Amino acid sequence: MKAASSPCLIGSNLVVGYRGRAILPPVNVAVGRAETWVVVGRNGAGKSTLLKTLLGLLPVISGRVQREASLQVAYVPQRLPLEATVPMRGRDVVAMGWDSHWSFMRPWRPSRVAEEVQAALKQVAADGFADERFGALSVGQQQRILLAQALMGHPDLIVLDEPTAAMDMVAERETLRLLDGLRSERGTAIMWVTHRLGEAMRDADRVCFVDAEEQVVAVAPPLEVVQHPVFVKHFGLHLWPSKGTAGANAGCD
Amino acid sequence: MQAVIELAGATWVAWWGAWELFRDPIVVGGVAGGVLGLLGVLVVLRRMVFAVAALAQAAGCGVACAFFLEIHTGLPSLLTAPRAWSLGLTLLATAALRWPGRRVLTRESVLALLYLLGAAGALLLGTRITQEAHDIEAILFGSAVVVSSLDVGLVLGGGGIILALMLAWQRGFWFASLDPDAARVRGVPVAALDLLFLLMLAVFVSITTRALGVLPVFAFSVLPAVAAIAVCRTPLSTALTATGLGVFAGVGGYFLAFLAAFPVGASQTLFAGALVFLAFLLRLLQGGRPITQRSGSI
Repeated sequence: MKAASSPCLIGSNLVVGYRGRAILPPVNVAVGRAETWVVVGRNGAGKSTLLKTLLGLLPVISGRVQREASLQVAYVPQRLPLEATVPMRGRDVVAMGWDSHWSFMRPWRPSRVAEEVQAALKQVAADGFADERFGALSVGQQQRILLAQALMGHPDLIVLDEPTAAMDMVAERETLRLLDGLRSERGTAIMWVTHRLGEAMRDADRVCFVDAEEQVVAVAPPLEVVQHPVFVKHFGLHLWPSKGTAGANAGCD
Repeated sequence: MQAVIELAGATWVAWWGAWELFRDPIVVGGVAGGVLGLLGVLVVLRRMVFAVAALAQAAGCGVACAFFLEIHTGLPSLLTAPRAWSLGLTLLATAALRWPGRRVLTRESVLALLYLLGAAGALLLGTRITQEAHDIEAILFGSAVVVSSLDVGLVLGGGGIILALMLAWQRGFWFASLDPDAARVRGVPVAALDLLFLLMLAVFVSITTRALGVLPVFAFSVLPAVAAIAVCRTPLSTALTATGLGVFAGVGGYFLAFLAAFPVGASQTLFAGALVFLAFLLRLLQGGRPITQRSGSI
């Protein structure tokens, strides 16, 4: 594992937007191994646009995105809009995550993949409904399946777009614990968008606060971001304890 | 009862007696049904059913163009080859489907435009080439009874390659089609797979439209897949079932046409439609309640 200070994904003077039109000021991002980054902002603030540009799903308006050549990335979208009639069980969706680059050219997957799929399903407590058609599952169950898919192949960086939006509190807490475990045990970098500012933001190494309407981008540790005037204006002033620090306000949800 | 058995016996005797005549169209119908059935699974899941209809119409219009040029111009036969025109217009239609101007025109508008222009073009040219009117009708409705040996070769060769690629790289096509963002992030060449899929579809639709006609080609591209999707639960079983049902529809439809003296294309379409009906019946008998998404968070 590389040192935490070694960035695996860098966005330099990155301007993001659609069809050549910038929606945010330039942003500098350097995600290190074993770091947790949280992207926050209001609806339509540009969070998903920033994430997708960093992942190469949207073209860069200006600036650069660099990633380590061997970096394995997994992406968990907000939703995978498969209809309930699509003949794919939850475990089939998870198994898709095993493939990367040109591996699909091997007609058969190794037999160990089935075990990997089962292990990933267990990690997110989704093994109970993994044989149901994916499209027929509730949104919260689908999010757990997508999270299991992201675990396949042991990626170095997992990027999640509101992965717990439809989960209940227990499932959300388990997800946060799982992601923190991946970070601390495997050195996996985590970057995620969330609307829930409490626990997720408190445990982050870096917070990226964006607001397209106010043309604000702030990248800083959580305690600094919560004091940003625009953040205070829209979310109110809250103080989070540092990691391992007892007491103080637990934040808002 | 005795009369029915005698009639059935006589029918089989007649069928086998004329096997030499029917063999090629049956083989082409079966292979086309199987390969289009397999391609059709992703056509249906990617919600591009009417793209196939538009491509088939473009192919039909291409053949009509070739006949028109052959009759009314002195162009050399190389430039009026129906297969070349069919393939050319199908590829043009495919390019139009991927045209970035879709931001101005919706996907449905482009599809409708291609379908209507293709259909109107073929019908319009058909009135100017009365000598080939029967061929035009055969292309549009699939009433062809015989297939040329070149068409047999093209369908078998092209179909074999497409079948092999689709089955061997099935995981890539499914990942790129159903979860393209996650696939792109993992480095799967989504754009290349999309392009390859569309090209395979366009080329095979073009080949089979010339051999079988627009109607059965559209039917094979949709109905076996719809039936398979109704009864299967996994990608591989769906792909294999759709292929098998497509073969069955191609061969069974021809046999039905022989028995009842129906037009071949319409029989094959009806046969494939009956398979969809049976699949939904089977699903109901399996105790399959309508599949709907669960509500709630967990």
